[in-house]
Amino acid sequence: MDQLVLDILWSRLIATVNEQAAALMRSSFTSIVRDAGDLSAAVFDRRGRMVAQAVTGTPGHINSMATGMTHFLQRYPLDQLNDGDVLITNDPWKTASQLNDITVVSPVFHRSRLVAFFASCCHTQDIGGRGLSADSKSVFEEGLIIPIMKLYDAGRPNEILLEMLRTNVRTPEEAVGDLHSQVTGNKVGGRQLVRFLDEFGLEDIEALSDAITDRTEQGMRARIRELPDGLYRYSLQADGIDHPLALTVRIDVQGDRMIVDYDGSSGPSELGINVCLNYTKAYTTYGVKCVLSPDIPNNDGSFRPIEIRAPEGSILNAQPPSAVCGRHLVGHYLPSLVMGALSRVEPDNVMAPGADALWESHIMGIDGRTGKETAFTWFASGGTGALSDQDGMAATAFPSGVANVAAEVIESLAPVRILERSLRTDSGGAGRFRGGLGQVLAFEVRTSGTAHFAGMYDRVHNAAPGLDGGLPGAPGGVTSDANIEIEPKRIVQLRPGTIVRLELPGGGGVGKPHERDPELVRADVENGYVATGAARDLYGVVLHPIDRSVDLAATHSLRKQKAAPAGR
Amino acid sequence: MALRIGADIGGTFTDLIVSSDDGSIFHATKVLTTPDRPDDAVVAGTGELLKEAGQSGDGVQQFLHGTTLFTNALIERKGARTALVTTRGFRDAIDIAREHRFEMYDLRLQRPEPLAPRPLRFEVDERVLADGSVLVALQDDDIDRVVAALRESGAQAVAVCLINAFLNPAHEHRIRDRLHERLPDLAVTTSSDLVPEIREYERTSTTLANVYVQRIAEEYLLRLQRRLAANGVAGRLLVMQSNGGLCEADVAARFPIRLVESGPAAGAIAAAYSGRLLGYPNLLSFDMGGTTAKACVILDGEPLIAPQFEVDRRYHFKKGSGLPIKIPVVEMIEIGTGGGSIAEVDGLKRLRVGPRSAGSKPGPACYGLGGRQPTVTDADLVLGYLDAGFFLGGKMSLSREAAAAAIDVAVGAPLGLDTVAAAAGIHRLANESMASAARIHAVERACDVERFPIFAFGGAGPVHAYGVARILGSPSVIYPPAAGVMSAIGFLVAPMSFDFVRSYPGRLGNLDWAAVRDLVAQMETGGTAMVGSSAADGQVVHQRSVDMRYQKQGFEVRVPLPEGRLDAAAVDAIRANFEDVYRRLYGHLVPDAEIECVSWRVVTLGAVPNVNLPKSNASCATTDAARKGARQVYLLDNRRLEEVPVYDRYRLAAGVRLQGPAIVEEVESTVVVAGPAELEVDAFGNLTARLH
Repeated sequence: MDQLVLDILWSRLIATVNEQAAALMRSSFTSIVRDAGDLSAAVFDRRGRMVAQAVTGTPGHINSMATGMTHFLQRYPLDQLNDGDVLITNDPWKTASQLNDITVVSPVFHRSRLVAFFASCCHTQDIGGRGLSADSKSVFEEGLIIPIMKLYDAGRPNEILLEMLRTNVRTPEEAVGDLHSQVTGNKVGGRQLVRFLDEFGLEDIEALSDAITDRTEQGMRARIRELPDGLYRYSLQADGIDHPLALTVRIDVQGDRMIVDYDGSSGPSELGINVCLNYTKAYTTYGVKCVLSPDIPNNDGSFRPIEIRAPEGSILNAQPPSAVCGRHLVGHYLPSLVMGALSRVEPDNVMAPGADALWESHIMGIDGRTGKETAFTWFASGGTGALSDQDGMAATAFPSGVANVAAEVIESLAPVRILERSLRTDSGGAGRFRGGLGQVLAFEVRTSGTAHFAGMYDRVHNAAPGLDGGLPGAPGGVTSDANIEIEPKRIVQLRPGTIVRLELPGGGGVGKPHERDPELVRADVENGYVATGAARDLYGVVLHPIDRSVDLAATHSLRKQKAAPAGR
Repeated sequence: MALRIGADIGGTFTDLIVSSDDGSIFHATKVLTTPDRPDDAVVAGTGELLKEAGQSGDGVQQFLHGTTLFTNALIERKGARTALVTTRGFRDAIDIAREHRFEMYDLRLQRPEPLAPRPLRFEVDERVLADGSVLVALQDDDIDRVVAALRESGAQAVAVCLINAFLNPAHEHRIRDRLHERLPDLAVTTSSDLVPEIREYERTSTTLANVYVQRIAEEYLLRLQRRLAANGVAGRLLVMQSNGGLCEADVAARFPIRLVESGPAAGAIAAAYSGRLLGYPNLLSFDMGGTTAKACVILDGEPLIAPQFEVDRRYHFKKGSGLPIKIPVVEMIEIGTGGGSIAEVDGLKRLRVGPRSAGSKPGPACYGLGGRQPTVTDADLVLGYLDAGFFLGGKMSLSREAAAAAIDVAVGAPLGLDTVAAAAGIHRLANESMASAARIHAVERACDVERFPIFAFGGAGPVHAYGVARILGSPSVIYPPAAGVMSAIGFLVAPMSFDFVRSYPGRLGNLDWAAVRDLVAQMETGGTAMVGSSAADGQVVHQRSVDMRYQKQGFEVRVPLPEGRLDAAAVDAIRANFEDVYRRLYGHLVPDAEIECVSWRVVTLGAVPNVNLPKSNASCATTDAARKGARQVYLLDNRRLEEVPVYDRYRLAAGVRLQGPAIVEEVESTVVVAGPAELEVDAFGNLTARLH
């Protein structure tokens, strides 16, 4: 295919999926889809290979949808699909590893022939079961499982399925409304694709898909080839439930391919923090891409040179019917794991570990204002790790990329009052470059009657380590004014008026704290990011007591003294 | 005979137009912008303008103005030392922002720094709940504690933004009054006066941005008024707002953040006006300049209005990378593709155009000012779209050799393409990215952009519009005369306007209608006060609307309210309006879902001024007479250079018809029709190319 023609077709194809995502987001019912962008949208060829993906969403959705399409094709081969069909599933092992993530796939027909699929994956507010918590012992407790089936059959909605869905979830309008939005988005994308085929006189996108994915694969291989061959290892410890989890990676770089192997990681959990392999793959490729190829588009080709393995039955390759609702609490660690391993060879393109797992708060109970049972989820993020030349970001979602919901919006929709949202002093790991600060998020429960609360949190017992001599960030914390312990990942009952205080973790630092520019430390103290004591004790920086400027002489001698060998 | 003057300060030129209400006078001029004191150019240019038009300043009834001064102060961070007063627990909301990453794979992202540094953010003990009731009452001694801290801090400006104050502004007002009393020199903006809408981060950001530039605005507008008066220019100073309406200078001085996008807004207003005049109520306005292109959908004769935008997008104009400003704005999509956009080949051997830009310094390689990287302008020159000897009417000469060399090195050689093929790739990819951005923008607004003619202006707009139109499937392209002074024309044709919003959420079936009527009446009274005194005959129109959604949807649509009394009897009409709008946007309704109202809006408008655009007085009634020559031009279908006739825009009289391919040159731009089309000149000198 002519180079310039390919460039033009490629950019046009990306435009169609961006249109699909725009149409979906505008009509979504769920604030975390609309406001937080928790969705993904993409186009696939007849062979089920992802060709282009919208510039939105979370890695977990996007990359697991990419691998999930083959399951749809296995269930419904091309000759069993008709114009007007729409397929659906939320099977964790086939798509995004959580029942709340629903994937909707629409085949597109051009001149009576199936030419492509548009698909999207959205997080729905509630899918029944226990609600969002890691308390289940099997997936059957986690809600309604929708096998791969038809949501529309030749244009006719599957009323039985919709009725089952409405009856099984706490927020039926949102759940069904978002399915409508997904169908609409797919339609917008499909319509644009048909115009595109007409304009360029194409029968389908098979040849284009080959050109795009091959080109991408070659680019990816070229980047991997720049890495020295070898084995690169790293491990992290996560809180898990009841006992800590070991997460271990070994990356084997062989020429233009790499094998990422999680052998040595912990076995499955009895509760809902298990990860299906497609989700493990999703966050692994995301981490590799951040380091090696942020500018290479995401499609089937970008995954080909990377083989991802996790022993069957390990927590990163859990088998049915394991409970998986809290899989992100483990899966979100994988990019940091990958970057830790690659930090030896790519020190300037990695970030130290940060808070990693998104903190998800889920409350259920009666909202006294409407008298109705309600379920509401909101997100918050700790700090990201530092880079070799830059401080980490405070309160920023990595790797999920998900936005928060405004306090005023939370209060208007849920029986909750937010008391505080502030940056957490001294929570960023000290280093030549400092880890990003975590945040404090305090709220009051305002249900009428008892609330059921689940805090899907991690890094409460295990801080984010630093890299290259940088210190770890502060671990998280959960406390309340009631006389009960709020254990993360468990459903607890809270009385109205209870105040819960979350302290989100900070990111790890990079480089030795004594190498940090004293002027940066002074500015951190002025801003309250670092306390005076920590400036002295961790960074070896002394400030004049009156004008708070750096006392260079005292700083110099303090740093020298601390650098002297111990055992004077 | 009453005169009106429009003056638009741009980056390079300050454009001025004078027109009389009877249409007998319409004259434009350009002077160089004086960046350090922009009013110098305005005052000097006004003198020149009136002299050229043979008019005196006494006859000037209105002086209509727009400036990027405040935008620049925000972008360059040259505003006041600004503090924030907020509810206990929330001083970092402005730092924590949305917590998201606007670019997924780039680990080196940075969020914009808040306009109030952390040590200047103060908290008070108070709390209003989500229903507007007070949980914790604000105490006077707590206010005084903050007043003392502010005095100590050396702050010059302060934003007051309390949680849920959009529902109950009492606490903000008490703080404001106390600050006025105790610290009269401090500029103060309260969120409930500026932007009483839900979402604390966006509201705080908007309030901070306003007060950050408030002093600059006051001083500038006062000085300009004084200097114009001293130079014998009578008339009221009216200022263009981002929503496409004009307001009084004193209103502008209080709410300068409302002016930030005034220049682009005015261009869209001018496009809408021309469209109405020519019988095209639906248009895609397309303004392409040196660094970016801006597209705006004009629907039913009016530009679309968005409830918020971002200023200072630091990351390739990417959504989320700027400071959110919750102010109604003519909805525009800005694309990082302009004449100065750099073309390069990436690691996958893909040709990329933009968003890096060579700007005006060093500029495109063909400028000969040290630029070595090929740009869109270089490609346009190689393709024969621009004339090396007639750029800016010959004021600047371009080097085709330098352009070709830059393209060969950076694009041709790596891709194995000859110069012309590489240049064509650059031109076409630039068109692709603009077309796709415009189309996504239209999808978001549920508009079928394929049916909309394109209205092309800006220095590079007429060069690229034909190619963009072919991609979008547009029926035609309209090339207005005086494409370089569209913003100043927009000032002349804009109505007086002011918009109000009050959040008062509730289910449609369950609202306290007396409270709603009260809110709406307050806004209408405010609108009459703001607009009535300057509107023709004091006549104003109130457009009432409400932002609505299905319950718990995170996104609202703007729904017009029915005429007449708002009460329970109006519910059915409001629901019907909501369903109309919703169905148009999303193609479906949601059965059995509750409907909620969120924010109530009133836009108060004066009459649209009567402007008589001048008729074309060009002399050449035949195509041959207007032809100045021919040159080799790249044709999009044939994919090679061929000889194409070149016409002089200023000699094309009304009624003249041309066939594409054709080049039509004017001083500020070049109309490029690189393929088949029927062209015609109308009575106003607009050139319209029909594509099918």
